[in-house]
Amino acid sequence: MSDHVIALRNVSRYYVMGEFIVKALDGVSVSIKRGEFTSIMGPSGSGKSTMMNLIGCLDTPTDGQILIDGEDTSGMNEAELAFIRNQKVGFVFQQFNLLGKLTALENVVTPLLYAGYRPRERRRMAINALERVGLADRMYHRPNELSGGQKQRVAIARALVNNPSILLADEPTGALDTRTGNQIMELFDEINSEGRTVILVTHDRELGLKAKRQIYLRDGKIEV
Amino acid sequence: MVIENIKLAFNAMRGNKMRTALSLLGIVIGVASVVAILTIGDSASQSIKDAIAIGGLDMVTIYPSPGQRNTGIFNEEFASMLRRDVEGIDVVLPQNSSMGRIRVSQEATDASVVGVLSDYGDALNLEYTQGSFFDAMDNINRRQVAVLGSSVAEELFPEQEAVGRYISLFRNQAKNYLVVGVLKSKDPTFNLSYDDSVFIPYNTYSQRFIRTTNVGAFVVKVTDGFDTIAVSDRITEYLDDIVGTDGYMLFSPATLAEMADQITGTFSTFLALIAAISLLVGGIGIMNIMLVSVAERTREIGVRKAIGASPSVIRGQFLIEALTLTILGGFLGIVLGSLLSFAVTNLMDWSLHLSYASFILALGFSMFVGVFFGWYPAVKASKLDPIDALNYE
Repeated sequence: MSDHVIALRNVSRYYVMGEFIVKALDGVSVSIKRGEFTSIMGPSGSGKSTMMNLIGCLDTPTDGQILIDGEDTSGMNEAELAFIRNQKVGFVFQQFNLLGKLTALENVVTPLLYAGYRPRERRRMAINALERVGLADRMYHRPNELSGGQKQRVAIARALVNNPSILLADEPTGALDTRTGNQIMELFDEINSEGRTVILVTHDRELGLKAKRQIYLRDGKIEV
Repeated sequence: MVIENIKLAFNAMRGNKMRTALSLLGIVIGVASVVAILTIGDSASQSIKDAIAIGGLDMVTIYPSPGQRNTGIFNEEFASMLRRDVEGIDVVLPQNSSMGRIRVSQEATDASVVGVLSDYGDALNLEYTQGSFFDAMDNINRRQVAVLGSSVAEELFPEQEAVGRYISLFRNQAKNYLVVGVLKSKDPTFNLSYDDSVFIPYNTYSQRFIRTTNVGAFVVKVTDGFDTIAVSDRITEYLDDIVGTDGYMLFSPATLAEMADQITGTFSTFLALIAAISLLVGGIGIMNIMLVSVAERTREIGVRKAIGASPSVIRGQFLIEALTLTILGGFLGIVLGSLLSFAVTNLMDWSLHLSYASFILALGFSMFVGVFFGWYPAVKASKLDPIDALNYE
């Protein structure tokens, strides 16, 4: 297995907007080592969301190569990308994106459902993940019965439950108050110290500096 | 995964009870009408057959045409000839009949006087309220005995036992006949009941009523295990050879029953097809609700994709939701259709024959509708771009 859990080689992502081509990402090359805690920073429109979507296999590059755990994802079809998202990447979103009609436990179980685990195993793994984020006592609550911080913890448990190589967090504290946000950041620190690669996407400089490495983006290019 | 998807489908339905109910209505009504039409059709056909069966489904009656009177073919030997030459005949019973006036002191009534052999009663499974059929000795000795149909007995002996009493039958001269039995009443459908008949021994009839050896009719009883329609076809073929198609008439309740069955069958199939169209319309309702559901849950689809749901998983989720809807609608429709059939057959005084084939047909068809009309919304959901779906407000 490669030492670099993520490698972008000359990656570009263009969008066609009417008559214009928007170069959201323009020939970016960057590698992230296993176990790194990296933040991707930049003002809005800098291409950080595009980069996150590409790393998270929600999108494919117009040009260049992306290797996740040594696997080239550029030529993959939808089903293969879904498999990578399921196995290698855990997403944490600003708006939590929990499934509202499901309980915390059911939310955490869902990725395991797609991974094909048996019910008993799914339940055991999901409870472990909820215990890991300190929410074992809330597992039968639905998202609307949880506070913002608790929702984000459920989302983190869901992101971690299938033991992914990468935890991708997009403005994870953006919808939380400072104190709760700090607690969530501490949780990311802990998760990182257990050896997992964490990537934090944020426009907040102060927050980004809490990561061990920073990647600055501007106009689709890496700023050195 | 299927179980989770069914749970999700029920979650979605619970969340929008009114909307779900309205969109299910099309399927429910469609399935209910298919089930009701086929069940009511079956029940109608069965009750017609039951009515015809009173005449004896294992009976075929041959009536020689008036023109055959003097050819000498349809004499008493014909019975044994027919039985010998055509396979599947248990007995052939010659009978003669004519209308006659029957008197008991002041009371008088018109009845069909029928001369038959003594085994007629057993062959036709006749049942009696009083006495029994006359026996072979009565026939051989040309005794003046009679078995009365229920209406005749009612008319002539309104409040008393008929057996043991005498009736007077007039032909050239009045003769007294001893009543030995009274038949149980049968529903007078298709003129096949014996309520207005008076049976007397064949030989007695021959002596008193006619002067030729020709026989008025032959009642043929088909051997157990033989198909009445097949036997009646063979008889037709046989008679066509001897006397031609115009030489006789054949009456077979089984053939009538088959015709009635075909007519009601064709009719109810036709109606069921029309009802199936309403099921198709119901399917469009399902498609509509599924498209709304996919649009409303765009963000959910995005989240599911982000955590690893492949397009086929998403498609499966929405297909199962559509199927769950239509199967639920199918079940409700079957219940409603059965209740409707129950009400109608009750009203018409038919016996209810639930058409289980229609249950399976209707359920199968509604499942087909679910897959057919659920496919497009499901595929649409599966093809959503995960990033667009996640950013959908």
